Amino acid sequence: MSLLREKRKIAFAMISPSILVIVAINIFPIIFAVYISLHLWSFGRGEPRFAGLLNYEDLYYDGRFIDAVFTSAKFVFFAVLVEFLVGFALAFLFNVKVRGMATLRQVAVLPIMVMPIVAGLVWFYMFNENFGVINWLVTLLGAPKVGFLTDLDVALFSIVLADAWQWTPFVMLVMFAALQSLPEYVYEAAKMDGLNGWQTFWRVTIPMLRPSIMIVIILRIVDSFKMIELVFMMTQGGPAGRTEVLPWYLYVTGFQGLDLGYAAAIAVCMLIIVTIFTQFFVARIGFGDDQK
Amino acid sequence: MTSDSKPISQFNLRAALALGAACVVVGFSLFPLYIMITTALKAESDIFSWPPTWTFSPTLQAFKNAFLLFGGQNVLVFLFNSVLITAASTALAVGLGSMAAYALARFPFRGSKHLAFFILSTRFAPPVAFIVPIYLMFRSVGLIDTHLALILFYTSMNLSFVIWVLRGFFADIPIELEEAALVDGYTRWQVFLRVALPLVRPGLVATAILSAVFAWNEFLLANIITQRDAATIPVYLSGFSASMGIAWGEYMAVGFFAVAPIMIFTFFLQRHLVRGLTFGAVR
Repeated sequence: MSLLREKRKIAFAMISPSILVIVAINIFPIIFAVYISLHLWSFGRGEPRFAGLLNYEDLYYDGRFIDAVFTSAKFVFFAVLVEFLVGFALAFLFNVKVRGMATLRQVAVLPIMVMPIVAGLVWFYMFNENFGVINWLVTLLGAPKVGFLTDLDVALFSIVLADAWQWTPFVMLVMFAALQSLPEYVYEAAKMDGLNGWQTFWRVTIPMLRPSIMIVIILRIVDSFKMIELVFMMTQGGPAGRTEVLPWYLYVTGFQGLDLGYAAAIAVCMLIIVTIFTQFFVARIGFGDDQK
Repeated sequence: MTSDSKPISQFNLRAALALGAACVVVGFSLFPLYIMITTALKAESDIFSWPPTWTFSPTLQAFKNAFLLFGGQNVLVFLFNSVLITAASTALAVGLGSMAAYALARFPFRGSKHLAFFILSTRFAPPVAFIVPIYLMFRSVGLIDTHLALILFYTSMNLSFVIWVLRGFFADIPIELEEAALVDGYTRWQVFLRVALPLVRPGLVATAILSAVFAWNEFLLANIITQRDAATIPVYLSGFSASMGIAWGEYMAVGFFAVAPIMIFTFFLQRHLVRGLTFGAVR
């Protein structure tokens, strides 16, 4: 019995500092955000006043907020689509066993770790209409210059491209690791059963990769949903609000409009959306490695 | 050379095609970094030239401007802040996190799994959702524009990640070694420090490097809660528009220093990168 008590004491001593920090800096702010969102709370305009669900009601009728929700959805959809399809294909490319491939793979994944602000800075330069290298490539192909960051229909896709540059290697890396972990014998069995390459791909490889596919897609959805750096550096939400994703709208509302209550209400909406997707992730990874 | 030449040449063609395609991918990955470095090394007239110049005589003028005289603002202070905040928050996150991870893996209690999930899920909250409450909290205790504020926030941000990933690493090592050490008279703390921790060294290295990268690269909260004294490199770089879009070379030069150390780490970290980046979900 005293052994059990000793274990408990140790466990408590080891866990509590971390829990303390997480509760103070991570959990409490979320609760506080809910509290703020229930108030009319502005910088330098007197004391906060309780307002119930007024901020949420306003959000419901706020066309700019609705637009931001759709812009975010569009950005997340196209970014994750491109990153997943290309990254998935690249995993198979880098899985070809040739000397030198491992080194090439290690170099290809470098963009994952690049500071997002720097990625925004460099792509901003490359997309420049007057001296940017991408427009130079466009003119080489004989087309007229494109306003990559100023054209209403193009700007969001320019941001998708910069995001895909950074995160496609991430999908590739994860899918590559998943491919590597597939046991050899299933392929031998598939061969013995007379499956051709295409059949093996659809009936053996894809089903076995499905858990990793789900994980990488959910991670990318949640991650691209919080993207703000590229917008900050490249478009500041423009042109005409076409790249105003939710994080940017929240930032502008809170720290340029100084309407903290309203910004907190947006934050709560974002947290709800993320929580829904996160539950999928947690359900996926939770009960695999843990049932020992 | 070999008698069986046909499959070999087929193989070589496939290999050559794959290598060629892989080189194109690598080229695309490296191209923006190449642009960054060359822009930093270009004279101003080359930066704004049309068509873009590919051959130019490199100059270190932009580096000199950025680090020695540029705008009266001293980049080195930002760089120092970044290093200090990254190092302190990483040490704290890995130090505290490894203890919690060990306890969760070795002394399971009722609800410990739910606690672990809960800790993990805090990691997915978008940082932008924190800017309003964190700003008000830190302001009320006078921590705005202090190193401590960012150290605390990054420690917390990385703790959930470190705990979750290291918990998997601890669960993977055989418990018999620790039991044997207990029999030999080690205390529980000694077992943790001298037996368990050394066995998860790869996990410690991986989580430490990833934590450092997260802290080093983080922009949004740094931009909100620091102004000058504790501002980090991403905050400096985000001031680009304040240069009226003119100082490309200087900002690219600073960007180079913001990216280069991380690139070197990443290149050598490969082995546990996936496990860290997917929170242990994919190995």
